[in-house]
Amino acid sequence: MTILVIEDEPKTGDYLQRGLSESGFGVRLARNGRDGLRIAEEEEIALVILDVMLPGMDGWQVLQSLRARPSGEHLPVLFLTARDEVPDRVRGLELGADDYLVKPFAFAELLARIRTLLRRGPVREEELIQVGDMEIDVLRRRVKRGSATIVLTTQEFALLHLLARRRGQVLARSLIASQVWNMNFDSDTNVIDAAVRRLRRKIDDPFPLKLIHTRRGMGYVCDVEDAPV
Amino acid sequence: MKAPSRSSLALRVTLTFVLVVACATAGLGSYLYRAFVGKIEQRDDRQLLGKLRQVQLLLARPDAADVVRAHPHYFRDTMSGQENSLVRLLAADGSVLADINAIHEAYPLPPSGGASPGVAAIRSWTGKDGTPGRVVAGSARLDERVVTVVVARLYAERSLMFAHIRQQIAAAAIVGALLAALLGTWMLRRGLRPLRTVAEHAALVRPGTLGQALDVAHAPAELRPLIDALNAMLQRLHEGFVRLSGFSADLAHEFRTPVSNLLGQSQVMLAQPRTRADYEGLLASNIEEFERLSRMVDSMLFLARAGQDELQLAREPLAARDALEEVASFFDSIAEERGLRLECAGDATVLADPDLLRRALANLVSNAVRHADAGSTIGLGVAVQDAAVELSVTNVGAPLDAMHLAHLFERFYRADPARSNADGSTGLGLSIVQAIMVLHGGSASVQADGTRIVFTLAFPTRNHHRHSPHQPE
Repeated sequence: MTILVIEDEPKTGDYLQRGLSESGFGVRLARNGRDGLRIAEEEEIALVILDVMLPGMDGWQVLQSLRARPSGEHLPVLFLTARDEVPDRVRGLELGADDYLVKPFAFAELLARIRTLLRRGPVREEELIQVGDMEIDVLRRRVKRGSATIVLTTQEFALLHLLARRRGQVLARSLIASQVWNMNFDSDTNVIDAAVRRLRRKIDDPFPLKLIHTRRGMGYVCDVEDAPV
Repeated sequence: MKAPSRSSLALRVTLTFVLVVACATAGLGSYLYRAFVGKIEQRDDRQLLGKLRQVQLLLARPDAADVVRAHPHYFRDTMSGQENSLVRLLAADGSVLADINAIHEAYPLPPSGGASPGVAAIRSWTGKDGTPGRVVAGSARLDERVVTVVVARLYAERSLMFAHIRQQIAAAAIVGALLAALLGTWMLRRGLRPLRTVAEHAALVRPGTLGQALDVAHAPAELRPLIDALNAMLQRLHEGFVRLSGFSADLAHEFRTPVSNLLGQSQVMLAQPRTRADYEGLLASNIEEFERLSRMVDSMLFLARAGQDELQLAREPLAARDALEEVASFFDSIAEERGLRLECAGDATVLADPDLLRRALANLVSNAVRHADAGSTIGLGVAVQDAAVELSVTNVGAPLDAMHLAHLFERFYRADPARSNADGSTGLGLSIVQAIMVLHGGSASVQADGTRIVFTLAFPTRNHHRHSPHQPE
């Protein structure tokens, strides 16, 4: 799957290209709106990451032109901007942006948003999640590792469910706070660390195979692996 | 529509003044004129009646008939003192016995007023050239026959005099108006001089001199309220300006530490070849600093928007207890690590924006967790007061000096400056709490009682519209 990044700021463009490639996406980078539109027209693009502040043709105009063409009508578009005043948001959504991310953002957050946008249609929630020897029965809220049943509090279960549901994806602390506790603002990151530590004491500490891993500076990931990359 | 609002006050006042003076002069003049004219006319009418009486007496003399008949010239010479005096004698059958009318005026014959007519018998008429005239008729005996004596008179010279007086009155009114214009302009210029002084002083006000009040000592009493209001405005601007510049300076200082760390540790790391673990450690450390900077920027933007009234509240009735429990569960793990207990008590419905309420509570609990003594309990409570629902967060910690309490909600204020950067806090959490409460029309307050510190959020229960979002108390 190829993602088109339209971004004029050199460093931003470069790290987005690199980060997205390393996360398994094909990436096409355009430094201005006109090139971006041409690439969107000529190539098979799955999603567009669009900076609002572009030289010449700005992001709004690019989005309008894109939406006016048959090839771009249903293309998911994720806006990046340093301004997040309410009128800007409204304008973006009115013009047909699918999502909106305010700079500075955590790269893991961007990846999570991209994956959400690329999932076509609603996904059926799995009722049974298996990671390594861990089994999560979502309906009965039961967790087992091997034959051992692990008792979790409601919040611990919600946290584990989130990590396991997105296994293999690095989840930013802000995303965890928002999804598990409804805290939609940047709060103490220590709080998430403490919550993950407590979960680990129950899930990982008694077992040799660790399932919850720290990505320093990024967040947490749940997967079967020996050591963090 | 714009011209009148922009026209000069001096011009308008002067014009009004001139109009008043002109009207007063003209009014007084015409009143006096009318009185004068009335008196003159009365005098002339008495003279006219006197003339009639004179003729009547003349005709009463025994030889009168002869004189009239035989010596009409003599009669005429006797009677006509002036050209303007006209006399006519009419017999009972209407035939003219004598007519003294050198200027050939045609005048009406009024009904006879009898032997001694009064003023009521006098009639007005207008001469050939428009000169006003008066005429009166009376009866007399001439040779045992009743004749009618008609006396008339034209007042040419009187009209001229009246016209002259009218001109003089008009001239007086015009001169008075001109004098009033000059005087008015001069008086206004003098009177408005203090205003110009105020304007000159105001023109000198610069951001750095906002604290200097305008001089009120030499101003007239009428201008004092204006100058006092201006001074009060300057004072408020000055306070705001000092606060803002202090804030900018604080902000720059707060940014200095993380930026300095980023710069220094990156340069040290690059100075020599390092292991991969070292590089990764550096990057992770840098990310921590960046995240702190990013949180600071977010908080700043939030405060700026709250201050400029740009945030829209999505208020709804909420069970306060649920909000407390949610926040408590969020902090549960970290509290446990530090040996703290979180306890919720009470319940009430509170009208608030759920996200902002959570944010305010989370900031307070985060603050409490940071400062609570190990092993102590942090209390989250709801209490219903007279006019407000109060949510409180209580912790036990190192006693806080009373001098710090008043400043706790200020941006970047830290009771202990030494630990400013140690715990990753932005120094803006409590300011945000206060901003959120102001947005809700409520208030945030703090009390300390020995080692116990209580932060209270008061949400007004009466339907309280947000009239003045900038008044924290």
